[in-house]
Amino acid sequence: MKMLDGHFRTKAARIVLIAAALLSPMFAAKLVAQTRSNAQAPATPRAAATADFTGYWVSVVTEDWRWRMTVPDKSDYVNVPLNAEGRRVADAWDLAKDQASADQCKGYGAPATMNIPGRLHIYWQDDNTLRIDADSGTQTRLLHFAGSAPQNEAPTWQGYSVATWGEPNEVIDQRVGGGGPVGQGGPEHPEQDLPNPPQASVTRGPRSSYLKAVTTHMRPGYLRKNGVPFSADATVEEYMVRFSDPYRNDNWLMVTTVVTDPQYLIEPFITHSHFKKIPENSGWDPTPCRADQPR
Amino acid sequence: MRFSNINWKMKSLWFSLLLLVMLPSRSAWAQVDIGGEWSPRIYNDARDIGDLTGIPLNEAGRMRAETFSPEQVDLPENVCRPHAFDLGLRVAPDAMYISQDVDPLTRKIVAYHLHLTWSGDQTIWMDGRPEPPDYALSDWSGFATGKWEGDTLVYMTNHLNEGFLTRTGAPRSGKATVTTRINRFGNYLTITIIVNDPAYLTEPYIREASWVYAPKQVIPPFPCELPAEGSLVPAFTVPSNMPGKYPYLNDFAVEYGIPPEAALGGAETTYPEYIKKMKTMKTAPRTTTKHIGRSG
Repeated sequence: MKMLDGHFRTKAARIVLIAAALLSPMFAAKLVAQTRSNAQAPATPRAAATADFTGYWVSVVTEDWRWRMTVPDKSDYVNVPLNAEGRRVADAWDLAKDQASADQCKGYGAPATMNIPGRLHIYWQDDNTLRIDADSGTQTRLLHFAGSAPQNEAPTWQGYSVATWGEPNEVIDQRVGGGGPVGQGGPEHPEQDLPNPPQASVTRGPRSSYLKAVTTHMRPGYLRKNGVPFSADATVEEYMVRFSDPYRNDNWLMVTTVVTDPQYLIEPFITHSHFKKIPENSGWDPTPCRADQPR
Repeated sequence: MRFSNINWKMKSLWFSLLLLVMLPSRSAWAQVDIGGEWSPRIYNDARDIGDLTGIPLNEAGRMRAETFSPEQVDLPENVCRPHAFDLGLRVAPDAMYISQDVDPLTRKIVAYHLHLTWSGDQTIWMDGRPEPPDYALSDWSGFATGKWEGDTLVYMTNHLNEGFLTRTGAPRSGKATVTTRINRFGNYLTITIIVNDPAYLTEPYIREASWVYAPKQVIPPFPCELPAEGSLVPAFTVPSNMPGKYPYLNDFAVEYGIPPEAALGGAETTYPEYIKKMKTMKTAPRTTTKHIGRSG
């Protein structure tokens, strides 16, 4: 019996190994095909979301406190990579003039919105548009997953935001060894067009779990409430991720904001802000735009 | 003998073997390449002595912060002391290089190495090795183990030497654990640092920093050398302040026109509601605004 067992074990092990060896490429091919199929599946941006940012969030100001929880002094532009013209404009800031005019929203534009202490309500306005309502300054941002920035519309404080899950047209190259062209024309012509596709794959996103938003068409305004300027030529890139902290299991939204402005900045200005998820709209406190208040 | 007659142990073994062979060697959610040279872009924060704003300190943490003297860093034994790695990632504008160790047989990543100009190296073990016992030595980089969560590298560090949360003396104890999350957004790298310190904080303290991909960057060797003339503070002294004798207690609050209590931090001060509360609190008359125009 022992001999039989041993014989059987050897034979069975051999069968298992052969089966595994045969099935492994099939499994991999299936996985690749599934990935490709997923990438090609028609889905709305809402259905294709790789992270859920919806709900109510409150900002937790652990950094830049003195510039966010107060209105900084005039000419306090520490840490902002302003050029000489940017400093000149910041030095000329006139709070009374802003208060007297209808421009009290200058400090609530898209480059600053996520940095202003307050609460956010994020929800899908439709299958292609993620909406962010901010109670500070009662601002609304629309992140458009479809379409492009309109050329003829007047600029607004929040501008026009084009959103993607990860980098647009992100290439996921999964060719399994070999290194030759995937299709006859290389990665631009994926192999599914071929009659006998190889086990390589080049697909396009979305694969990343972050949200990228690029905002343009903004009215000129302030990076900080004390008149540190951004121009109409500014572009805002935002990267948003969601995570839970392992200590309290709180859910967090973290935003990296990159402002590029050829008129006033010598290089992109990168800041961060984070928000804790709250169960409902408690504490929601909509305010008008106020030039003399931090929020 | 039929397969059904084989004992369960053998079946499990074969099934496991089958699964092992069938599974691809890399996750379908392949990790993101975070390797290479990264140039710092740290525009958040720039603190003055006495500025504890936004830090969820408890009473013990506040007391330790108030005994700090900035001259401590000028002691001979401290001049070339590296920043603890969690601080180095955040407050010093450090150039960073990230490399990885790959198992030559399995092609799996065994470890990442983060190198910072002012903080040395930190190894993040990805092979699931157990952490050393509590009595193991601590150091400035600690012991770190990580894993990929989707396209985010998440790692936890413990066994850190006692250090600081800021360069202005907010303390971080040796009991702290630090969870670090690395996200690559195209050519930007954002690192989120979550410090949990039962000794000095009432809740986790979260901060972020970003770098830009800079393949031609060359990081110099750790640049610190003790000057020939010695340090500014003579050896065998310990610059410090006794509890309740903190000379900078009100300086920051006066200079920025905020209530002194707000300058001392605490979890409550980090929420938007605190702006309203500050309006009901006393503020000392401003006698200086020397921070204006400071380059940071």
